Amino acid sequence: MSVYKHEYRAYTGRLTPLWARVGVVVRYALAEAWSSKITAVLFTLAMLPAIVDLVGIYLANNPLARALIMRGNTAFDINAGFFLKVLATQSWFTLVLAAWIAPRLVAFDLSDNALPILLSHPISRFGYVVGKLAALFSCLSLATWVPCLLLFIYQGYSSAQPWMRANLRIGAGLVTGSLVWIALLSILGLAISSWVKWRVVATGVIFAAVFVPAGVGGIVTGVLRTKWGFLLNMPAMMTQLWQRLLGAPQVMRDDRQLPTAAIAAVLVSICLVSVAMLNARIRARDEVRG
Amino acid sequence: MNDRIIFENVSKFYGEVLGVNRVSLSIPPGVTTLVGPNGSGKTTLMNLMTGLVQPSSGRVSALGMTPGDADKFFRQVGYCTQFDSFPRGLTSWQFLIDGLLLHGMSKADAIRLAGEALERVHLGDAASRKIDAYSKGMRQKIRLAQAIAHHPRVLVLDEPLNGLDPMARAESLSLFEELSRQGMHLVISSHILDEVDRISDRVILITGGYIVAEGNIHQVRREVRDKPMQVLIRCDQPEQLASRMFSVNHCAEARLHSDGKGVFLRTGDIDEFYRLLNEIAIEGLVKIEAVAPADDDTQAIYQYLIGSDGSPS
Repeated sequence: MSVYKHEYRAYTGRLTPLWARVGVVVRYALAEAWSSKITAVLFTLAMLPAIVDLVGIYLANNPLARALIMRGNTAFDINAGFFLKVLATQSWFTLVLAAWIAPRLVAFDLSDNALPILLSHPISRFGYVVGKLAALFSCLSLATWVPCLLLFIYQGYSSAQPWMRANLRIGAGLVTGSLVWIALLSILGLAISSWVKWRVVATGVIFAAVFVPAGVGGIVTGVLRTKWGFLLNMPAMMTQLWQRLLGAPQVMRDDRQLPTAAIAAVLVSICLVSVAMLNARIRARDEVRG
Repeated sequence: MNDRIIFENVSKFYGEVLGVNRVSLSIPPGVTTLVGPNGSGKTTLMNLMTGLVQPSSGRVSALGMTPGDADKFFRQVGYCTQFDSFPRGLTSWQFLIDGLLLHGMSKADAIRLAGEALERVHLGDAASRKIDAYSKGMRQKIRLAQAIAHHPRVLVLDEPLNGLDPMARAESLSLFEELSRQGMHLVISSHILDEVDRISDRVILITGGYIVAEGNIHQVRREVRDKPMQVLIRCDQPEQLASRMFSVNHCAEARLHSDGKGVFLRTGDIDEFYRLLNEIAIEGLVKIEAVAPADDDTQAIYQYLIGSDGSPS
């Protein structure tokens, strides 16, 4: 039998607060996301439409350019409709970015079986998911509300009239609409990635999760002649939501307009299902079901 | 403060699959070895101990703390999983530093403790290399390093000797011994029974999710009364000793040692056996050089209680 001298001393130094430790997971996740050149390429591509829009804003506010190129064409007016198109375009790129990045953040940890090691530290499953979400959210922000807001500010700066104050709703709508979209994509992307260990397949499933229900919704709408099929169509729902947030003209017919409450209910439901999927999958070990 | 790891009637079911059932244990400091066949519930027991899975019923605590209080609990508990897996693309230095930052250490403390842990497992020179490029043994060592880096008081090691060469195994065992001497809890699962036997203070035998036996290995062996104990006696006249023991004692079996200078004897009454052996030694008819139990090790207990098929015998 050993003689225990009890000379072992546990660490007694200062500890950082619990919330600060989530930062380690965020750093892991960001490093993982940006370790691929494809992420950088996709991000660069996502910036191209914003640069084109920037040029458009410059030209629209330049009297000489207006006279020579636009010749009074109202299609080049910088208004809520313009920013709705900007937001919609950026959002498509965000979907591609989310489908690429989200699987890298979770699927690798699951396929490498790294969760037992990570979760045997004082960080909860909730903290782990929050860290991953924060990393994905920040990546997607760079392609949505950040360029949109910069364009909005540039328009306010370039405009001869006091444009920004008169159009604050557009700015607020851009940020709110972007945040709703990237929050939805982040949580949905992570949830799907947590169930599909193969990264490429997870990327495909994320696209499928957006487009397959949209197709089904289109069939429902066509066959049953009802607008409610659009509740399965995430892009259509989001477009309607953004249009209302920005105060832009309707882009869909009156009989296809969905109540905002119904859109919100569907979005919340998607988030809840995603949380349930994450809760079932983000565990320190696989549970064998008999 | 409570210095034990305590399981109070703990059961864990994965759906309808039994992990462990009605386990009650009180593990004191020192080296405790978990022994059992594959799928017997060793890893489940360790996962319960470290809070990675929640018990279906019952309660687990270590040093009076429950895994629910993760911050305090994981400051005192280090876990070396059996999985040869790591977050992708990290060097061992980054892996240890990030682990320590997750424990809430300051950057300066994390650097100091990571360096210390790497030195302890003799991986200081390879600290800047990516773990992906490590050999299996080095990966095993770095897992051990992350488990001890934050100075836990309870160290749970799932198959820590797998993949190590004999030298590294000896170093690891020596480290375990040193840590246990200092008053740490070490709970080890291993299939390398003879080596673990050398450092174990107590053993827990588990099969099919049930604890079959637990305690000091010699005590456990004595409790297995239906299996006569085997003793090796080195002496100058083994044949004469065997015949004498057979004539007066309930010896069940005698087998000469291969070198002819000893005899293995099996007896159902070990106390009476030793009393008679003392008499024979005093009589001086046989010159006895050494007496040693031949089957009160983990290997033998495993065979007796669990058997080769993994079911309790």
